[in-house]
Amino acid sequence: MAQTRPISANAPARSANAQNVSFVASLRENWLYWLILIVLVLFPFIIGWLSGDSPFGTPRGDRMVMRGESVYAQSVLINIFALSVLVMSYNLMFGFTGVISFGHALFFGLGGYLMGIILEFGGMDPNIGLIVALVVVLVVTGILGFIVGIVSLRLRGIYFAIFTLAIAEMGWLFFRGLSITNGEDGLNVASLPEWLDPARNRIMVYYVGLALFVLTFVLIRRLVNSPVGSVFQAIRENEERAQVLGYNTLHYKLFSITVAGMLAGLAGMLLAIMNKEARPEILNVSVTVDALLMTIIGGVGTFTGPVIGASGLHLLDTFLREAVVTIGPITIDIGERWTLILGFIFVLVVLIFPYGMVGTWQRLRMRFKRSK
Amino acid sequence: MGTNFFGGKRDAWLLVIGMFVAVLVFALFTSDFNLSSFAITLVSGLFQGMLLFLVASGLSLVFGLMDILNFAQGAYFMVGAYLAYDLQHATGVFNITEAVPDPNIRFIIGVLVALFVGAVLGWVLERWLLRPLYDRPLFQLVLTFGVSIIMLEGIRNIWNTTPYSWTDLFAIREAEFTLFGQAFSMYRLFVIGIGILLIIGIALLLRRTRLGIIVRAGVEDPEMVSALGINVRVVFTLVFTLGCAVAAFGGAIAAPFLGATISLGSTFLIQAIAVIVLGGLGSYEGTAVGSIIVGLALAAMQQFSIGVNIPVLATITPMLLLVIVLLVRPQGLFGEAR
Repeated sequence: MAQTRPISANAPARSANAQNVSFVASLRENWLYWLILIVLVLFPFIIGWLSGDSPFGTPRGDRMVMRGESVYAQSVLINIFALSVLVMSYNLMFGFTGVISFGHALFFGLGGYLMGIILEFGGMDPNIGLIVALVVVLVVTGILGFIVGIVSLRLRGIYFAIFTLAIAEMGWLFFRGLSITNGEDGLNVASLPEWLDPARNRIMVYYVGLALFVLTFVLIRRLVNSPVGSVFQAIRENEERAQVLGYNTLHYKLFSITVAGMLAGLAGMLLAIMNKEARPEILNVSVTVDALLMTIIGGVGTFTGPVIGASGLHLLDTFLREAVVTIGPITIDIGERWTLILGFIFVLVVLIFPYGMVGTWQRLRMRFKRSK
Repeated sequence: MGTNFFGGKRDAWLLVIGMFVAVLVFALFTSDFNLSSFAITLVSGLFQGMLLFLVASGLSLVFGLMDILNFAQGAYFMVGAYLAYDLQHATGVFNITEAVPDPNIRFIIGVLVALFVGAVLGWVLERWLLRPLYDRPLFQLVLTFGVSIIMLEGIRNIWNTTPYSWTDLFAIREAEFTLFGQAFSMYRLFVIGIGILLIIGIALLLRRTRLGIIVRAGVEDPEMVSALGINVRVVFTLVFTLGCAVAAFGGAIAAPFLGATISLGSTFLIQAIAVIVLGGLGSYEGTAVGSIIVGLALAAMQQFSIGVNIPVLATITPMLLLVIVLLVRPQGLFGEAR
């Protein structure tokens, strides 16, 4: 964990020329990220071209039916985007600032539920409703994150974690018993604007999801590499020492928790748009546990770890659920045993990758470089 | 003497007494000062509190000593419940009804088998999976979670997902006792009694034996204990095994009431986590007192929520109680103030 950079405001104003050079340098440094971005932008068309299905769906009469390989692949990726944003936001708080929360599902679930309630019961034009929902979700999750963050002044470590767990459990039980959102069956979100309706225009949902994913990634990277991010990491390594250095650590923790909560709310909105419903499961503690496990498996306190953890586990989940393997005379229905395999994956990853997948890879590379 | 009656934790005990009084007054109020319905609340509250304690005690000991939050604790509870159910009823996987026709003896066999299997599974988890991970506490969390999934799936594969409800009658379920003119199944008294015996038993173990002294010292500072020449790892294994065995035992004891269902583990696990934090992490008396308070509050709220017809009130009670206690006392009831 020796990643803590020295805390310094080392950002002098650059000339236009230097900026140009730094752009090329950043291109060289980040070429892999740019390549992945280009692939993701073209992804629906690549799959469409490979499979021969249109990325816009199959026309039937005067409207499009969402059928075909490309459309299916888009929906898998939209889920990955939502999950990645959730896990990245969790990592901002947990991996970079060192605040363990077991209540992240509350923010995620509120994003979905608030949007659903505003669109269904607001009686507004869907486009305006969506904007109102966006603002309300950001404000409510922000305020809630702020309040929960203030409690972290008094509660530390596992006490704070369990406090957030209790708050999130109450939210889950509340929405599960709420009759206007149909209790355990969940709320159907039918009044989405037509351009963002996954049953008609999935590709738009895909690009909105991609935009959210890229923005979150860039935002967290910028934030963590900024002086503020250095303080976050100082808090993670040793909160008392950061205080002694003169930082008001509560302010920084509040900031981290609030931003993480708002991003999780946006992720919940995206998932609710994709599924066109908000079910109580999105508030369940298992969402938080998933985010925690995906962060740890991918690599705590790394930028790509959460994305790899989230997409890896979701892809395995999607494809192994339907897989049936036949080796000679033995046929194994993997889908039926999938959860069992997941359990073994957790155990194996813990025993094989001691610092998560990305963390272990970075360490191995560093050792290799040093020995050369 | 008088001034030092409460030990160093006078505030905590005063708060606990205050909470007990508040909960009991609330229970009296919800039962309209009718003693026989107050008795229902009281017995049901103590009963639920003891069930909670059976899961929470192991969790608390393990967390206090080795800083592991064992996510698999709920799964051990479930294993106990399934084993006890199975050994009692003819429809299960092992059919021992012909070999042992007496249902009372079958119940005792079920409980003992659950205790034994829980201990063995707990020993395996600590000795072979958790031990390499003591310098990486986060990964212990992932590992116990992975193990709980594997155990859950194992149960699902052996017994499938149908919930089993206990149908077999045996002596202790049929006998009755009366309190304030209200008749109760003797089984409830039996569970409450087992819970109280366990509270006293573990307290004696911690206070009066050499192992208990080592465990209490280990809670304070494990490194110092091993520096004194005590093999602290063996103690870790013992305590972890004991914790899992007690959880499985609790599942077996509770099975005649709760039956055996797949969701049993997670419900109890979360409530038990709430209880040990409410009582103060690492504090055994906190866990015991916390379980009883939460159980009583739950029962009173169940009564109340039926009256006002808001069922959510009862289910959120343990969490609400935890939030309030933490806001008033950030270290939990008996936790060490920083």
